Amino acid sequence: MPKSAATARSRSLEQDAWVVVPIFNEAEVIGPVIADLTKHFAHVVCIDDGSSDNSAELARQAGARVLQHPLNLGQGAALQTGFDYVSRQPGATHVITFDADGQHLVSDALEMLELATRKRISVVFGSRFLDKRTKPGLKKRIVLKLAVLFTRVFTGLRLTDAHNGLRVLSMEALGFVRLEQNGMSHATEIVHQIAKSRLSWREYPVEVLYTEYSKRKGQSLWNSVNILIDLLVR
Amino acid sequence: MISQWILALALVLVGLYLLKARRSASQQAIRRLFIIVALAAGFFAVLFPNYTTIVASYLGIGRGADLLLYAFVVFALFYVVHQYRRQLWQEKVTTDLARALTLAQAELDDLKRSRRS
Repeated sequence: MPKSAATARSRSLEQDAWVVVPIFNEAEVIGPVIADLTKHFAHVVCIDDGSSDNSAELARQAGARVLQHPLNLGQGAALQTGFDYVSRQPGATHVITFDADGQHLVSDALEMLELATRKRISVVFGSRFLDKRTKPGLKKRIVLKLAVLFTRVFTGLRLTDAHNGLRVLSMEALGFVRLEQNGMSHATEIVHQIAKSRLSWREYPVEVLYTEYSKRKGQSLWNSVNILIDLLVR
Repeated sequence: MISQWILALALVLVGLYLLKARRSASQQAIRRLFIIVALAAGFFAVLFPNYTTIVASYLGIGRGADLLLYAFVVFALFYVVHQYRRQLWQEKVTTDLARALTLAQAELDDLKRSRRS
């Protein structure tokens, strides 16, 4: 295929994919993250989960469509609101989940979307453990590996990275996802629902940038316990 | 001792309720019957305090006061679990409501925007 045709095709990919970014008090970082996304994607929708700062305004200025929860419900709830919104959009082909704290690379998202489209894979999960780019500290590594182990037991899907916020889902896959875990347990819930759907899936190596900011917002070991209990008691 | 079996079973039931409770008419009916029985038993215990000791020793518990204490602990645990489940359900309702509001607002905004352009 000549290069210009390939570019044209990838352009249309980015026209019909919707990026969903849940935000909660991210004013420090949200502007550049959204600006970077809107440079490449035609549709970026932020769900402001009841922020008390001006995150929503900053995201809007950076070119995102912003939906606002009237109160703080949790990241899982924000994602599901985004999913509901995207599933009403005519012509949408894929939804991409992307964290607001700037830990993902837009280039990774583009490559995952390209892979999902070219190989007709329903779900592409980002994984930071498939190559050597990401360097989590020892404690972070333990937390994440525990989450992986737990996700494998609970869902039967052999992922290498259970809590990566970067994912690409086709609209068909979105039909199988209904997040009821408002808090952080949605990451495992989404894997569980995809596993049950028996749709095709793939992992793709992505880099996670550990900035001071994302470290501060990161999850602790205690949260693995909370997630376990959330998923058992529903 | 028969009391140990009864108490262990009661705790298992509380645990199951934590994991499996559904909002069904049958469970509501059971809860209400349970409260009526507890009230009746309480009334009986107040009128005839001696009988609590008789029932207690029949079950293998020393004193009537101990029997009441055990019953109270089981009931309190059940109550905590029940309230926790209610709260989960309330959160779900709140989420659905907030989401509906958010999406309705978004639809309105989109409509306005498409009219302007």
